[in-house]
Amino acid sequence: MSRIGVFVCHCGLNIAKTVRVSELAQFAATLPDVVVAKDYKFMCSTPGQEMIANDIKEHRLDRVIVTACSPLMHEQTFRKVLSASGLNQYLLTIVNIREQVSWVTHDIDEGTAKSKALLNGAVNRARLLAPLTSRVIDVNPDVMVVGGGIAGIQAALELANTGRKVYLVEKNSTIGGHMAQFDKTFPTLDCSACILTPKMDSVMQNKNITLMTSCEVSEVKGYVGNFDITVKQKARYVDHDKCNACLACTEKCPGKGVSEWDEGLVKRKAIYIPFPQAVPQKPIIDRDACTYFIKGKCRLCEKVCEQKAIDFEQQDTFSTMKVGAVIVATGYDLMDTKPLVQYGYGKYPGVYNALEVERLFNSAGPTGGKVTMRDGKEPQAIAILHCIGSRDKNNYEHCSRVCCMYSLKFAHLFKEKTSADVYQFYIDMRAAGKGYEEFYNRIIEEDVKFIRGKGARVAESADEPGRLIVEAEDTITGKFIKLPVDMVVLSPAMKPRADSKDLARLFNLSTDKYGFFMERHPKLAPLSTMSEGIFIAGVCQSPKDIPDTVAQANGAAAEALTIVVKDKMELEATTAMVNPASCCGCQNCVRVCPYGAPFFKEDKGVSEINEALCKGCGLCASVCPSSAIIARHFTNEQVLAEMEGLMEF
Amino acid sequence: MATSFKQIEENLKTEAGKLLDAGKVSMVLAYGRGYDEKHPLPYVARSLADVDGMVFNEYCTANLARYLVRYPRGTKIGIAAKAADSRAVIQLIQEDKVKRDDLVILGIPVYGMKNAKTDEAIDAKTTCGLYNPVIYDVLLGEEVHGQPVLSPYEVLEKVEAMGQDERFAFWKKELDRCIRCYACRKACPMCYCDPCFIDQNKPKWGEKSPETGGNLMYHLTRFHHLAGRCIDCGECSRACPVDIPLYLFHKKVAKECEEMFGQAAGMSIDEKPALINFRVEDSDKILE
Repeated sequence: MSRIGVFVCHCGLNIAKTVRVSELAQFAATLPDVVVAKDYKFMCSTPGQEMIANDIKEHRLDRVIVTACSPLMHEQTFRKVLSASGLNQYLLTIVNIREQVSWVTHDIDEGTAKSKALLNGAVNRARLLAPLTSRVIDVNPDVMVVGGGIAGIQAALELANTGRKVYLVEKNSTIGGHMAQFDKTFPTLDCSACILTPKMDSVMQNKNITLMTSCEVSEVKGYVGNFDITVKQKARYVDHDKCNACLACTEKCPGKGVSEWDEGLVKRKAIYIPFPQAVPQKPIIDRDACTYFIKGKCRLCEKVCEQKAIDFEQQDTFSTMKVGAVIVATGYDLMDTKPLVQYGYGKYPGVYNALEVERLFNSAGPTGGKVTMRDGKEPQAIAILHCIGSRDKNNYEHCSRVCCMYSLKFAHLFKEKTSADVYQFYIDMRAAGKGYEEFYNRIIEEDVKFIRGKGARVAESADEPGRLIVEAEDTITGKFIKLPVDMVVLSPAMKPRADSKDLARLFNLSTDKYGFFMERHPKLAPLSTMSEGIFIAGVCQSPKDIPDTVAQANGAAAEALTIVVKDKMELEATTAMVNPASCCGCQNCVRVCPYGAPFFKEDKGVSEINEALCKGCGLCASVCPSSAIIARHFTNEQVLAEMEGLMEF
Repeated sequence: MATSFKQIEENLKTEAGKLLDAGKVSMVLAYGRGYDEKHPLPYVARSLADVDGMVFNEYCTANLARYLVRYPRGTKIGIAAKAADSRAVIQLIQEDKVKRDDLVILGIPVYGMKNAKTDEAIDAKTTCGLYNPVIYDVLLGEEVHGQPVLSPYEVLEKVEAMGQDERFAFWKKELDRCIRCYACRKACPMCYCDPCFIDQNKPKWGEKSPETGGNLMYHLTRFHHLAGRCIDCGECSRACPVDIPLYLFHKKVAKECEEMFGQAAGMSIDEKPALINFRVEDSDKILE
């Protein structure tokens, strides 16, 4: 015999408008073993909680069912009420009649009926619940930051400055990310390198940061507080411990590779550092461009290297780091605009994308900071086309947020460096940010021409060979215009990294339809993810500018710190165990567990579960053909009883 | 020209003798005499003297892979395996129930096996329709070539053409006849759970006496447990005393599985069981 109390929440009108809450409470009172059933406007409020606490004492309740919102919202709140009243916190059941009922129907009869069914099942299950004890585990104090752009750099520095050990993992041979490619930053027009390189250098100097360039995460095991992350160190063919960064090798190298750094606008050597301020300032060999790897002969770099650091035999190596929390800050790619054939990118040499133009402005870029086009000439007229692929239902529906502002920046720099006429083709000007509207006004003053209309097509001029014609509808005058220009700049959509879905799988993150990582809550937990202990920052979550990215990075560092600052943490008691008498040794559990908790005991021919690793997800129990696995808090008996209760309706 | 049954029997005795004599295996799983020629029995030869008791004829249909999981892990076993039987061996290796290194597979290429009950030829209608073992260490005859190769799924046409209600009525009628003797489970090389879910009492997953609910629970769950694992030997249906066409259901599940994951059960020891192995390129059709 149990003594069950049922507490039905109205959630204001959130629930009450599509569920007859008092009828639900009256129904609950008729169910066997239910000794008290009440409804209340806000069960999570202090009076609501006190009501539950009083009823536990007064009616000597030994099970409590709260019929309210998702357990993600208030399970912890009500568990505390039980604990404070002397009841084991696992004797609480939450029935979610908000997200699963009232919010998904307009029909009050339907809503009430489904709520009754769910409650009937919950009462059946509550009777079979057993008290459980939470586990306390040690927390690893270190943090891993994945991605060495401005977000990763900022987060790593913040954490390192609190004394935490940080592993900063970057897949390229240098940190810096996209920001290091930029020339100036809007709206203040301060030099990107001037504000970024000191930070990159601080990363290098900081004793708490282990910088891991040319590295990729290959496997993630464990859980919040105790992740085991395997990182692949890609072969660099240069021993960075021996290399003294004299860079004699890069001078002698006859190989030619495409400079990713300069967006493919120029060639670089096969052994190279991407740019002069790269961190670490040590070269790597591009296997695909290296004469020795292609033809089997050369090894010039080896001959000139006094440190004997060149190692053509180097292989990829793997190492495993133990960390308590992870920040993922992997940034973005620009959309490939080649498939948008109407803009002629890749076809006409006069069409550039935004990152290429950033490199043209940069004094360390392919033209030494001069604005000259692929044919070596200075443009006389330039069109900047906004929203290429963004705000576009055929490509990316989202606004990429930074293009309006960097297009204004481009206009300013073009005006500064050339005598060209500059035209902006925009849908709307979006200048929401500190100092952004002021910047927009400043650029208007600089004799930049604004045409409200999305660039529709770029074609070759029939009259003047080599020039381009931009076609668009000026939506203010309603006229179609054909504007002859020399240079067209596309502002393409920002999209997630091509491998973002692979990374999402590694870290168990969810993504939106494009592959941007999903936050736990869009307003109240924008940096947390559904995987506890994994945080996100920067554009990998959604397009944003540098100030927002840095703010997120700082926030994510603080979030990670809230976990690793503690020595111990409490874990759910809902783990699984194997009944060896029923185990048939099929090892399905071993194969499906994402946390590596079950293992096979060869001598006994049965599986066992390491409860320290178990997260209680229940996958193993569901694939066990002989039902030998008992998932605590969700035992077969409990789940079957709940289902029977549901199906009585 | 396929090797004769008599010749295969001779080869089986010779090879089994060699293995036992050399001490390479501690037993050879094969077929022995039953109460008549049509009912040969599974047979275990543990010494050279036992080898003479082996037989092989067109009624030796039993899938001997069934017995592999009986012996302690690490036991060195020789096993006579026809085409589908060898797939069962592969599937058991995939599931880590036996180790490849512990086995010597005496492959039997064979054409013209017969169902002892009906004397009908056994072909792709009730089995996977292969003639040659997929894996073996020693082949006990020449590979069979030139015989018609039929799709094991052609026989499904009739069931697939049925509407949902009609199909449910068909299976309900068939499964209602089940007397719960569990011969299907006993004959199946992949049914190695001990205890089987249906024998459990806490929780009791289904009624144990023969009645509609319990019968459906037992068979549907068994079909489900064999999804992506059934190697289509057809032994369950031949073992069934009331002739329920269990193979039809297994074939349907196998077909769906193969279409979805591009992998048939027991075809390669390098593969992993389809349903408990996640690959990025896996079809999402299963979620629909």
